[in-house]
Amino acid sequence: FRFKDSLAEELQSADLVISHAGAGSCLETLEKGKPLIVVINDKLMDNHQLELAKQLHRDGYVLYCNCSTLVETLQSMNLSALKPFPPGQPDKFASFLDKVFGLQ
Amino acid sequence: TGGHTTEILRLLSCLSESYSPRHYVLADSDKMSEAKIRSFEQKRAETFSKSQFSLDRIPRSREVRQSWISSVVTTLYSILYSLPLTYKRKPDLILCNGPGTCVPVCLSAFLLGLLRIKRTIIVYVESICRVETLSLSGKILYYFSDYFIVQWPDLKKKYPKSVYLGRIV
Repeated sequence: FRFKDSLAEELQSADLVISHAGAGSCLETLEKGKPLIVVINDKLMDNHQLELAKQLHRDGYVLYCNCSTLVETLQSMNLSALKPFPPGQPDKFASFLDKVFGLQ
Repeated sequence: TGGHTTEILRLLSCLSESYSPRHYVLADSDKMSEAKIRSFEQKRAETFSKSQFSLDRIPRSREVRQSWISSVVTTLYSILYSLPLTYKRKPDLILCNGPGTCVPVCLSAFLLGLLRIKRTIIVYVESICRVETLSLSGKILYYFSDYFIVQWPDLKKKYPKSVYLGRIV
């Protein structure tokens, strides 16, 4: 199971995902509408990875803890308080570029 | 690489066929992106039959956490390597989103612009992962890009010349 090409199938059938703070993992999970708990490892972590996890938590999309508080988080979690994650809007980017090139 | 490729393909997803042909530039060490790109272009060709694209590879300019001094040397080498490629393609637009690979390509295009050989519009989109700080590529290209797009409001405040369109991937 170490390095599969895609975890899409497992994600689809999961009820709860507990993950590290990697952006790909977080975003893929949120886009599938699955509740997510992000676990931070302060010692190994590349600081910039934390930025996204913290922001997602501030905005109410994920729960957030470290290794030692994981059990407590699982015991007291309220998943229904998590907000649904709205999709990104690449069409806004396309409109912007069209304006730059005078293509509207 | 990985996340960058996924993001950039999402950015391309809503573009019209005016943005064609598309020339993708990858690091020589990148194994996974080519498959994702081909799959994207294949789907695109189903809708737009005249769709065209190409793939070029350049030496990777910097490994993660490579030291400053050796990074300058490898980046200079990559810029020299990119010049003939950029000169050959003479792109109207360069779109990039942060991997080390994009810096030499953009700087080579910037140089060709200074030499009045080809004026390319450089559009940089910082990754969605960057909420409070810019990547190293971003910090450099903030000064060399025509449009610098960020996806979180904090960055717009810190980098006032940037463009904020919300989350676009």
